[in-house]
Amino acid sequence: MTSHGWITTTMIMLPLIAAVVLWVVPMPRVWVAPAALLVSLFEVGFWIEALVRYDFDRGGLQEWNHATWLKDLGVSYSVGFYQGFSIWLVGLTTIVMAASTAYGYWMRRDRPRAYYGLMLFLTGAIVGVFTAQDLLLFYIFWEAMLIPLYVLIGAWGGPGRLNATIKFVIYTMVGSLLMLAAVIVYGLQAGTFSMIDGGTNASDWIFLGFAAAFVVKAPLFPFHGWLPDAYRESPAEVSAVLSGVISKAAAFGFLRICFSLFPAGVQDFRTPILVLAAIGLVYGSLLAFRAPDIRGVVAYSSLAQLGLIVLGLFATNNLGIDGAVLQMVNHGLISAVLFLLAGAVERRAATGRFESLGGMAKGRPALATVLMATGIIALAVPGSGAFAGEFAILAGVFQQGWLYAVVGAVAIVLAAMYVLRMISGVLHARKGPAVHDNALDLRPAELAILVPLIGILLFLSAWPAAITDRVLG
Amino acid sequence: MNAAAWTCLLLPLGSTVLITLLGGSISRRAAGWISTVSCAGAFAAAVVAFVVMLGRSPDDRSELSTAYTWLAAGNFKVGFSILTDPLSMFMMLVVTGVGSLIVAYSLGYMDGDDEERRYFAYMSLFVFSMLLLVQGGNLLFLLIGWGLVGLSSYLLIGFHHERPSAVAAAKKAFIMNAFGDATMALAFFLLIQKTGSLDFDVVFSRADGLSQTVLVLVALGLLGGAVAKSAQLPLQTWLPDAMEGPTPVSALIHAATMVTAGVYLIVRTNPLFELAPHVQELAAGLGTATLLMAGLIALVQTDIKRVIAYSTMSQIGYMFLGAGIGAYANAMFLLMVHAFFKALLFLGAGIVIHALGGEQDIRRMGGLRKLMPKTWLAMLIGGLALAGIPPLSGFFAKDSILAAALAGDTYDRVLFAVGIVGAFLTGLYTFRMLFVVFGGEQSAYVREHPPHAGHDRLVNWSMGLTVAVLAVLATFGGWIQFAGVWTPITDWLEPVAKPLIEATNSQEAVASIISVAVGALGIGVAWWIYSAHRMKAPRPWAVLEHKFYFDELYNGLFYWPAVALARILDWTVEGPIVNGSIVGVAGLTRRTGDWFRALQTGLVRVYAFALAAGLAVLVLVFIAVR
Amino acid sequence: MLGPDTAAYLIVAAFLFTTGALGVLVRRSPLIVLLSLEIMLNGANLALIAFSRHFANGDGQIFALAVMAVAASEVVVGLGLIVAMARKRLDLDVDKLSSLRG
Repeated sequence: MTSHGWITTTMIMLPLIAAVVLWVVPMPRVWVAPAALLVSLFEVGFWIEALVRYDFDRGGLQEWNHATWLKDLGVSYSVGFYQGFSIWLVGLTTIVMAASTAYGYWMRRDRPRAYYGLMLFLTGAIVGVFTAQDLLLFYIFWEAMLIPLYVLIGAWGGPGRLNATIKFVIYTMVGSLLMLAAVIVYGLQAGTFSMIDGGTNASDWIFLGFAAAFVVKAPLFPFHGWLPDAYRESPAEVSAVLSGVISKAAAFGFLRICFSLFPAGVQDFRTPILVLAAIGLVYGSLLAFRAPDIRGVVAYSSLAQLGLIVLGLFATNNLGIDGAVLQMVNHGLISAVLFLLAGAVERRAATGRFESLGGMAKGRPALATVLMATGIIALAVPGSGAFAGEFAILAGVFQQGWLYAVVGAVAIVLAAMYVLRMISGVLHARKGPAVHDNALDLRPAELAILVPLIGILLFLSAWPAAITDRVLG
Repeated sequence: MNAAAWTCLLLPLGSTVLITLLGGSISRRAAGWISTVSCAGAFAAAVVAFVVMLGRSPDDRSELSTAYTWLAAGNFKVGFSILTDPLSMFMMLVVTGVGSLIVAYSLGYMDGDDEERRYFAYMSLFVFSMLLLVQGGNLLFLLIGWGLVGLSSYLLIGFHHERPSAVAAAKKAFIMNAFGDATMALAFFLLIQKTGSLDFDVVFSRADGLSQTVLVLVALGLLGGAVAKSAQLPLQTWLPDAMEGPTPVSALIHAATMVTAGVYLIVRTNPLFELAPHVQELAAGLGTATLLMAGLIALVQTDIKRVIAYSTMSQIGYMFLGAGIGAYANAMFLLMVHAFFKALLFLGAGIVIHALGGEQDIRRMGGLRKLMPKTWLAMLIGGLALAGIPPLSGFFAKDSILAAALAGDTYDRVLFAVGIVGAFLTGLYTFRMLFVVFGGEQSAYVREHPPHAGHDRLVNWSMGLTVAVLAVLATFGGWIQFAGVWTPITDWLEPVAKPLIEATNSQEAVASIISVAVGALGIGVAWWIYSAHRMKAPRPWAVLEHKFYFDELYNGLFYWPAVALARILDWTVEGPIVNGSIVGVAGLTRRTGDWFRALQTGLVRVYAFALAAGLAVLVLVFIAVR
Repeated sequence: MLGPDTAAYLIVAAFLFTTGALGVLVRRSPLIVLLSLEIMLNGANLALIAFSRHFANGDGQIFALAVMAVAASEVVVGLGLIVAMARKRLDLDVDKLSSLRG
């Protein structure tokens, strides 16, 4: 095992081990949540260390940690940060997971040992997905990431959680199994499962196997059947993770695996994927405009945003890809904040439906400011980080065909419509029947969770080049 | 010069951040002072920069200052930079000068409002956005300022967010502006593809080599943004609704910021428009059509602010006409004096509304001249300036645009004729409003709610003094430039926007005489009908009251189809296909499971028999295959 | 090779196995079923050992030892279950234990 690159392994193993410790070692219940939060904050700290260590000018694979695992099959434990974008996505993961864990603590989730163990396990698995350099290892982390989600939705979700879980399981299983088949075929052909040594493969079928998993997980229209239910029925912080981080794993998969291993497949299927992404962009925006509740709006807008991100990736030029990576981070943070806010509103009004909400701005300045600020960034007002991302994406995809950019521009107008509808549905106009006068403003604890996320969004608005300049290399 | 320009830009932003962060720990009035001082400071910084620039030779007055690289993606790089040149200097002075007066006026107008802090934070943000728009050193930062102006207008129009109509108006303004942003963004994508940059100098220098199709598309995209922001045909419908905001906000939107941005954009990107002359003519045509339409609609409005709002639309139409025929300096001149007298009119109307406890309907007003003589004087100055009566400021600016149109080809002369009709309408609707509000007998409403004088000295000072300053500016502001004799504005803007067209002295004289005559005629007709009551006011036409049915048209064309499409997609695709397919898979699995359930009898002996039978079959098969 | 031919052992083993299988299939008392299972295992064991001798290879014998160990544990668990059933006063009848019915 190479000695450098300990930080990558640490970032994967620390939460996994902590999860097992939480499950196995008996400890007083009150300690569980603080311990989990502490571990997730350590993850953020390690990420900052990794960010400092990573040399963006040199690029490539750094902090590489490698050990042979199954020699005969060519499988190895091989993890590291491959190019700038994996640094950013790991950062997004650690930050959103820390915020979600803190939010779970604030909400006092029952059965804490199981709950926080699963959250930590999830953290480790996602970091593994973003750093794995071996396809079989990638697949293992991918599956490991989905299992805690099944349980988190199924056990801690809302009233319709069983249906939501079933749909989620069926969809993701189908995608994952196709990916497993593709992984095996690729590995047998290449003689190794390593993403670094394996070389490219021209087979369209293998590409499609991977694409199936990513397209379902993102999701891309029309593979989003699991999305509305899962996002509505999960606990708020799990929805935040689902749409903030897990969906980015799919986009990451396209970027890391499909682009570097299957350039021929990307070439062959670029147009159909671009078309699906463009349809998804408009379709998601339209349905978000009609959704009756906050989570519905955020869920369908996620569908639209993922369409946009895939547009940027499959523009297959640096402009689009840089914008897409920036947009991944932006959207991850935005949807996390919005889902947590949806949870906060639901906690106060016991519903997220617009017909019973409204008028919450009066006397609740913190809630109004936070929701307004996030919403404004979400609708990509010029000058925001999301605007920078969308601008680069659409400028990139414009070079593949002007029609995609026109569709994107229409979607920008639609985004303004649905976000403003959501903001005024919650905050403005007459006080809704579910809003009580004594419903509190955001509490300091909630602000402590949300404000750092918004702070990062504002930072990215002031300086989007921080990410776009450090994506590939 | 750069330091002063940056200070000018960042001071208002700083005050927004400061007020937001301090929140409830400062008094409401302190928030107002922070905002006022920051805007006044921005004006002072602009003056400093102006003096420095004045000291340089005309060729050396343009300076680009980049703070850092804002966005770098692929080969495309764009910096956070500001361009300080005569044009942006001109706009900086207007924006911060008029803007800080309006903010100071708000100190009195908004005094006692529950959410004064939020209001002043938004006002500073608005001034910052507009400054970013005019100072932005490349097209992307122009667009960013552009979008932030739309955002600020959304926030301020919807300031009274408990009123559904205000929220709806704010959303409408934002979405129509977003539409303009989108067309501009598309034009920029095209420019990035063809020239690889969004820097002004690079784009302008490479524009020559682009094909005519590309140039027309780019110019159309820019024009789309301009008409959306400046509320010109066909994207004008948000402006009257925007009157839902507090009155100083209307003044800010109409005078110092926002709606003039379209004119600025055309002047700023004039090298692109000149390469696509048909689009530039289209801009002039749209402006002219708008000035006529807005003038007609203003005749039947009953809300005092809406009358003024339509007059803005009409005046911006004149500016578009000027910019469209290439009389850039004249358009900018009108922009400046319009800022003076329009701010004056709005703030004067604000005093009336404030005094009458929020009443805005002119049919319930009347006879206010005796009760509010100073306000009457201010409004009269504003009205005369708006109607273009010499020697007030509007005359000098508007007539120079009309003269330039007279100097052009046949198309321009048609526009000139329409502009003259517009001048008549301007006199008519302006003085209809003034006579109805101030003239005649006191109305029942006014008798019941007599205007109350404020007791707070600061309130009176902040509102009175600012209006007085604006009245002076509206009176004398036009004397800066007298066509044919004395043209400092044209000379000042020459390095950035060289006029395509210049009127001869005789054309100036003809245009002035005709337009003053018809303007005075309009005032006379207004006096005849609304003051002397020699003629009964004609019944307003339904088509005017419905603002030419644009709202209905757009609802029918865009809003309802979008809603219907979303609904249809929900019913046909999302429900049965996307959602149904997965439910179908689950159901199929369940039914299959039901069939196989019968095998699970729960009797252990049956299982054992199945095992034994299976074994037997295997053995038989084994033997048979051997 | 001393003793009878391998075939003879196998015949006995088959007889034992069949007897046990029949017992499992037709008897309803769990005790007897368990007993019959033991007989089946012993039949299998006998076959293993017979083959082991036939091929002069120790593997079968080792395997038979493993089977015995399994059988012993199985009896422990099985009898434990039967005792538990008896203490709950359930009928000792496998046909009545059908709660796993689908």
